[in-house]
Amino acid sequence: MDLTTYASLVLVVMVAAYAVAKFFKLSTEISMFIGALAGCVAGGFGISARHIAEGAMTYLDINLIFITATLFMNILKESGGVAFVVRGLFKRFHHRRAILLVLLTVILLVPGALTGAGSVTVLICGGMVATVLVSMGVPKVKTAAIVFIIAGLSAAAPPVSLWAMMTAAGVNMPYVGFFWPLMIPCLVAGIATMFILGWKGKPAETEEVLASLPAAPEGMNWFKIILPFVVFLGFIFLGRTWPHSTVVTGLPFMFLCSALVSYILSPLKLNFLRISRDTVNQLLPLLGTLTCVGILVQIMTLTGVRGLLAVTTVTLPVTIVFASLFIVLPLSEAVLMWGAAPVIGVPLVLLFNTLGLNPIVALAGMSIIWPLGDALPPTAIIGRLTVDVTGYKDSYAQFLKACIIPAIIMIMIGMLMVIYSKQLGFLTGL
Amino acid sequence: MTPMIRKLVFGFAGLALLVFSGISFYQSRRLKEPVVVSDGVTQVVRLSKYFSGVEGTANDCNMYILEGKEPGATFCILGGTHPEEPAGRLAAWIFAENAVLQKGRLIVVLSANRSATTVTRVGGAYPPEFSIPTSWGEQGFRMGDRWSNPLDQWPDPEVYIHYPSGQYLAYVDVRNLNRCWPGRPNGTLTERTTYAFMEMIRKEKVDIVIDLHEAELQYPVISTIVSHEKAQDLAAIVSMTLTDMEGFKMGMEFSPKNLHGLSHREIGDFSDAAGLLFEAPEPFLDATRGKTNTEQLLTGKDDFVVRAGQHGLLFEKIDANGWPIDKRVGRHTSAVLQTMVSWTEMHPDKPMVCDSIPRYADVVARGLGQYLRNPALAKPGRIWYE
Ligand SMILES: [Zn+2]
Repeated sequence: MDLTTYASLVLVVMVAAYAVAKFFKLSTEISMFIGALAGCVAGGFGISARHIAEGAMTYLDINLIFITATLFMNILKESGGVAFVVRGLFKRFHHRRAILLVLLTVILLVPGALTGAGSVTVLICGGMVATVLVSMGVPKVKTAAIVFIIAGLSAAAPPVSLWAMMTAAGVNMPYVGFFWPLMIPCLVAGIATMFILGWKGKPAETEEVLASLPAAPEGMNWFKIILPFVVFLGFIFLGRTWPHSTVVTGLPFMFLCSALVSYILSPLKLNFLRISRDTVNQLLPLLGTLTCVGILVQIMTLTGVRGLLAVTTVTLPVTIVFASLFIVLPLSEAVLMWGAAPVIGVPLVLLFNTLGLNPIVALAGMSIIWPLGDALPPTAIIGRLTVDVTGYKDSYAQFLKACIIPAIIMIMIGMLMVIYSKQLGFLTGL
Repeated sequence: MTPMIRKLVFGFAGLALLVFSGISFYQSRRLKEPVVVSDGVTQVVRLSKYFSGVEGTANDCNMYILEGKEPGATFCILGGTHPEEPAGRLAAWIFAENAVLQKGRLIVVLSANRSATTVTRVGGAYPPEFSIPTSWGEQGFRMGDRWSNPLDQWPDPEVYIHYPSGQYLAYVDVRNLNRCWPGRPNGTLTERTTYAFMEMIRKEKVDIVIDLHEAELQYPVISTIVSHEKAQDLAAIVSMTLTDMEGFKMGMEFSPKNLHGLSHREIGDFSDAAGLLFEAPEPFLDATRGKTNTEQLLTGKDDFVVRAGQHGLLFEKIDANGWPIDKRVGRHTSAVLQTMVSWTEMHPDKPMVCDSIPRYADVVARGLGQYLRNPALAKPGRIWYE
């Protein structure tokens, strides 16, 4: 049997096993694991404990960042910090709608930017921002769409963008120079979404709104909110200014320190262990996904399925690749979640490299499009979570419809960034 | 299924995974690779002899020192900078087990980043080890990875800032030996390792350091010599002679002045030696590769990589014959020998003359296994382990 036939057969078995698992309502991560196992057996490697274990470790460091950053965000929320910020901004700016909309966009961008997960944005501040938006007269369906879209953008936003990190790792490219290529489009698309969906609406009475928001505890102030971020930035600053006399601690430790500072400064008495447990419970499906994506990619690499996808992608006509990005990327995200990055992202970046495009800007552009898949079946994790958290009760289809205009904006920005990546190369600062 | 039964089932599955994978990781990390040293080897020392900061670490590697009857130049061959590029290690192995020096001194390293030989790449699906057939059986080698084992150096920083240039590099490259030159005494394990090598190069007054590598065909720096400007004349002659006389193409390029951490840049800048780096083609490293197994690793045959080549995506040619390990190792032995010959022509007062090493044509015709020696027949005191 030649290599193409062999790898194609293994791919078919993997897809079939995944589909069957999904049909029996198993979660995406378990379905990916079953797909990987089936591929391993079909490829003639039996059930290789070594490859399963090694693949599962692929994203260990990213998982640690994920856990510690989310713990930090959760402590900030439970200490009343997030409520304090939202109430404060609302009180100060409720007469100036434009400013308030911009600030709410920034608040939504922060948790996902730090953790790399849109779902963390939704959980940390989705509910509160939704309350403010509804009180500003924005319809619930549009509110849900705003939270979902900006949560997606926050995941793509720097410093932690898992799609960009995982793809870059897959092509031996440093995760360096991504800050502005990711930051600018995320801010532009985020603010545009906020204004397009949130500009119209008759605001409610200020007192009514404040009553419906969670209370900010006595003793909370701006200093207590900003200090933990200063600690985090301080670590980065120290490490970059005196790299050869600073101990290497790694990002997870830095986030853990910020979490501890936030915990110590909290005006409310918090149960650290309970919040840690809740954090891990909350993240379990996402940690599971990253772990199983690692296994899946390892088995695809082992059996040559990854090579088949890579060689097929890099030998396709360029126009077809460009024209199908806006379907392929969200669809791969819907099926594989972050697995889309190593499986689809890596061969695309290889192709862009050989075309002489700027791989950093092109990959950043792709990272803006990927999050759209989080609203689509079969997974739709973040879409459903958003609908829950914002309290939107009507049909899911209506919610998707409300997302269309911002989605088109994101697709346009992303595709233009890919096509004109060479001209935008200056954004990387390299 | 009740939750309890489910927990038990998953618990046992996890335990089984832990045990079976654990055995495999343990065995490959501790696989002993015998080296039956050549009669030309007069001394075997540890790297920690030159810098105690690597003593007791995974990277306190062996150094095989060969001395000629007559004095001359001192060369150093580094194999295993990137252990996942096996032709580099294997070519150095042939020197350690066969070379006899007439003039000059030769220092051979088989596991420059020993830590990286003890791990395989997560997500890369590498085989844990591979073996080379010989007339006396098979000799096994650890597969290894490009980066030091995280068990020996972890965590990685948020960005890797090279010492002393201050250049920003990818965080994983903090564990890449060929991004950590010239190293520093109080740095990471990988930096201490390169620092120890720099100390050795300075103390032993090494003239030429040859760093042996392989590269994916999709990478532009392939089938070439990368040379520090100090050795550019030497590299140019070697490149031309090999291409003319031995029937394989060998390019030559300069070490970029502003790309830091690489052996061909920093050894030349921080010592009296000049650094040369040789690249051979290894389709196993290509992202378009098909099945990831030892057969692909050793034959270099891969339909997918061939297809990528047909679309003009590669920087080295490949056909159905692949790139067998014998060819890749032969390129390296010939390139090293030619460097010695050309050096001696250019520096008759400081000669470097080495015998008993096969050239490209010999390795290809007879197979590299012919040049690996049987540990069962080793004389006492002449066998070492990597
Ligand atoms: Zn290399």
